[in-house]
Amino acid sequence: MRKARIKPAVKESPLFWPVKLAENGRCLRVLDESLIPRKLRYIEVRSLPEAVRVIKQMKTRAFGQFLVVLNTFLLVLANAKTRSPQALLSKIRTAAGRLNHSRPTFPFAEVTAIVVAWAQAAAAQKADVAASVSKNIDGYLQGIRGRRLQRVQKIAEVLRDGDSVLTHCNVSGELAMAAAICRQQGKDLHFFATETRPYMQGAKLTCWELQRMGAQVTLIADNAVGSLMADGLVNKVVVGSDRSCANGDFANKIGTYQIAVLAEEFGIPFYVLTQPSHKIKTGDDIPIEIRKAKELLVFSGKKIVSGPVGGFYPGFDVVPHRLITEAIAIDVR
Amino acid sequence: MMSVKRKSAIVLQGVFDASIFDALKRRKIKEAFVLEGRPGLEAAKQSSRELLKRKIRPTLIADNMAGFLFYKNLVREVWVSCQYADRKGALCQIGGLILGVLGKKHNVPVYAYPNGSKVKLLGSSRELAFFNGVKVAPRGVPGYVPLAEWVPSKYITKVYNGKGIS
Repeated sequence: MRKARIKPAVKESPLFWPVKLAENGRCLRVLDESLIPRKLRYIEVRSLPEAVRVIKQMKTRAFGQFLVVLNTFLLVLANAKTRSPQALLSKIRTAAGRLNHSRPTFPFAEVTAIVVAWAQAAAAQKADVAASVSKNIDGYLQGIRGRRLQRVQKIAEVLRDGDSVLTHCNVSGELAMAAAICRQQGKDLHFFATETRPYMQGAKLTCWELQRMGAQVTLIADNAVGSLMADGLVNKVVVGSDRSCANGDFANKIGTYQIAVLAEEFGIPFYVLTQPSHKIKTGDDIPIEIRKAKELLVFSGKKIVSGPVGGFYPGFDVVPHRLITEAIAIDVR
Repeated sequence: MMSVKRKSAIVLQGVFDASIFDALKRRKIKEAFVLEGRPGLEAAKQSSRELLKRKIRPTLIADNMAGFLFYKNLVREVWVSCQYADRKGALCQIGGLILGVLGKKHNVPVYAYPNGSKVKLLGSSRELAFFNGVKVAPRGVPGYVPLAEWVPSKYITKVYNGKGIS
């Protein structure tokens, strides 16, 4: 297993870095976020098809999917029976293609293009493609890890004593770790987490990790956001993002847009954690993944309404930049 | 994406007096989007059942998905259920305020219609701990469960009295 070179200021949430590569490089251990809070279990991923499956099935999400994408290249290289630069380059291109199409809203292509470029450069120089790409991915991930830990500190700076913070879905460990830092600093904070239908990431993941980190958290239904804001029960909103645009628009879990509109209406500052990108101009250009209606209509194997009822499940919202008070950004390019 | 024409979607939020469904039928409405209505999901169950009885196709969306329909400019009108209304606004089922604010921002009419019964103002934490009978929240995490909320008149286009839609 690769050793972490940068130590966080507080205990790390399991959701902060939910994917780990085994010491021999032939197996990824992916935190099965769908089992939280019942179990903390890791899925073993040994091949490209298995990696694509954990992404499509949302066993991990958001930053975890980004980690799966990058680590899958290491897996592909470790499993390759050839050392031929061109053959390895071809395998990397194939992996990139499969990963790029696993979920349309995510900017996987932006990341896989970087890896393909590293492989192309190594092949052109007749260098060891596997060693070169592995070293680059490792360095890249360590860089991102450091910048995310810095962002945790920035979030902690944004949060003030007495704040009551609304969050939606799950921001992959960063908010919970910032809450722990605030706690160390003696700040008294309260968090409200939306359930985040249909997968309930807010109820299952955010409540769980905030509670684990010692924060005070209260769960609300997605439809209670207006009531909470109108009654003055929250004074800040902090959300993550899955994709950013050149003009500052971003995509995030479905439900984020209406929260942003309400925050604007009630004068509540709206913060978003972003990974800026200039590959897409505006939010209107982001392809929104429409997932199967069954994922909405059936919960734990049981239908929620009877009869021939249709369902519509857009996975993401686009939030226009003008609704954002501040983007707390890290550069992942 | 499913084929919904711009400004064509009718969105229903809350549990309604059954007369609203007759009115939709008279207007020859073919399809309506129904919000789930956490925590009890009564809205999803009642509206779907009543729409199907009248051969109007219900499409369920989660309570956090209405914004997407507005953002895509798909919504024609919104109906929220209320148990009391006066000139200052209406006491609506929880979620009504979100629809009201979205309607105002996107210039979409928001109509309040009686729900035909009294709704408690606050539910219990336990109601949020479960979804469709399955435990979802970690043990020890409290839930805040408002079941009704005041929607000021600036967010409501018209309040109906429950005797149909003219």
